[in-house]
Amino acid sequence: MAERSGTALAVDAVDLTKRYGRNRAVQGISLQIAPGEVVGLLGPNGAGKTTTTKMLLGLVRATSGTARVFGVDARDPAARRRLGYLPEHFRFHDWLTGAELLHYHGRLAGMSSSARSAAVPALLERVGLRGKGDQRIRTYSKGMTQRLGIAQALVHAPGLVLLDEPTSALDPLGRREVRDLIRDLRSDGVAVLLNSHLLSEVELVCDRVVIVDAGRVVRSGNLDELVSTGTEIRVRLDRIDERAEHLCAGFGRVLLTDGTTVVLAADSPHSAPALAGTLVSAGYGLEALIPIQRTLEDVFVELVTGTAG
Amino acid sequence: MSALVITRLSLKEAVSRKLVLASAVLSLAFVGLFALGFATLYQRAAEDSEPGLLVFAATAQTVLGVYAVDFLAAFLAMFLAVAAVSAETDSGLLHAVLARPLRRESWLVQRWLAFSGVSVVYVIAMTGALLAVAGAVAGYGATAPWRALGLLALEMLVLVSLGLLASTLFSTLTAGVTVFALFGLGWMGGIIEFIGDGIGNETMRLIGIASSLLIPSDALWRGASYYLQSPAFLAAASGEAGIPFVSPTPPSGALIWWSVGYVVLTLALAAGRFRRRDL
Repeated sequence: MAERSGTALAVDAVDLTKRYGRNRAVQGISLQIAPGEVVGLLGPNGAGKTTTTKMLLGLVRATSGTARVFGVDARDPAARRRLGYLPEHFRFHDWLTGAELLHYHGRLAGMSSSARSAAVPALLERVGLRGKGDQRIRTYSKGMTQRLGIAQALVHAPGLVLLDEPTSALDPLGRREVRDLIRDLRSDGVAVLLNSHLLSEVELVCDRVVIVDAGRVVRSGNLDELVSTGTEIRVRLDRIDERAEHLCAGFGRVLLTDGTTVVLAADSPHSAPALAGTLVSAGYGLEALIPIQRTLEDVFVELVTGTAG
Repeated sequence: MSALVITRLSLKEAVSRKLVLASAVLSLAFVGLFALGFATLYQRAAEDSEPGLLVFAATAQTVLGVYAVDFLAAFLAMFLAVAAVSAETDSGLLHAVLARPLRRESWLVQRWLAFSGVSVVYVIAMTGALLAVAGAVAGYGATAPWRALGLLALEMLVLVSLGLLASTLFSTLTAGVTVFALFGLGWMGGIIEFIGDGIGNETMRLIGIASSLLIPSDALWRGASYYLQSPAFLAAASGEAGIPFVSPTPPSGALIWWSVGYVVLTLALAAGRFRRRDL
């Protein structure tokens, strides 16, 4: 099985559907993640993110559709050999020490005693819990427990990591550390599926984003494509007349004209230099030209509320 | 793959959560109290009684002592089992564990092993201690102590399996209420059967048999109680009921086979249910 995984996608889910009685939690979600890719799964509460993640883990049985992890059917326990998971509501056996928990999960993942003894201290160090491994988990703060949860997900050096809200209990510094950790994983060729409500975080770390709403994928793509489509440009000139407006309209749709300022929904995110050249050669004094890039949040809100930003 | 990781963890949990310490301390107190009571009453009986009454006193005290142990052990088995699955799924504790390459059935059976082990060791150690006290004080000898221990152990397996099944079906509270209610029903059925035997009422006997099919815990206790009595006492009673809650006849082979089948069946149902369940 491990041999097959060399070329296989880390995640290959096709048309996953989950119904609870008449309630359709997930309606035909397809999702592919290549090794070394960091994908953000976004959506409002109840959109089906966690259910989708749980189907990849075999915790929830799909009503229809298939999910494969490194080529192995997700319902087969063998699919979880190379998979690490941090649940959203991370709770662990709190009467164990941090190091004991990691050993326990390492054993469950089939690691040898010597492999665990090497991995556990390194991991504790990596998630910022150096020197805390011998404390019982019940003495940990929420942030420490979440860090331990991340270490737990990584204990067996998995090829795919599913992180459900991995920074919900962390302070800004801790969040930054987790972002760095995810980037390290990517450069090690590990695939990461990140569920997060923190769009800025997803924006900072993900290669690709899948936005789901009401159990369906409403948009997916590379982050650059997603946020740059329909870039707005704010242009301030020494004077505005009909000709100036007309010239601007050649590069997109004029949204607003106010005094000496024009706001333009540009057709292409790369039209700013050409627009500047055109206006200057037509004799206008160009005081400012500011491309206003949309944030992921703008795109997200637009998609899930159905309103244009 | 190192074997029985879950079983070992469950046992470690019992130790770590001071379950073992608490039950050991309380059980020692229980055995101490039994020894004190047994010695006092036996001495009193020896002073002013005929030999027949002495046999009765020793047997009644021993069997009733083990009856109390049986209740304690049964509660332990049920308490452990009804929370075995539901508490861990409700708290989300299980999600990270079952995200490992581990079959759910394997997880369940390993939990069963741990809790069965704790309950069986408990009932055997406590019953053994009581029999040892009775032997030391009064020279008491049960008819077949090993058979009695075997039946009590089987009763624990029945209760752990039933509790585990309930735990895969219901929340911890509902599972607890259900299993305790069934346990009480079996106990009541046993009494109805006992009275039915005494007055020769066939309907009451059938009610008792039906309740033993539903939950054989009380029937297994009664089977064990037969072997706990002294041979002299059994000979004197010659098949007549002497003490309530105690059987004057040995358990049937059918009861033992049904109980073994019951354990296998409930465990299989629990595994089947747990395997399909969304977490």
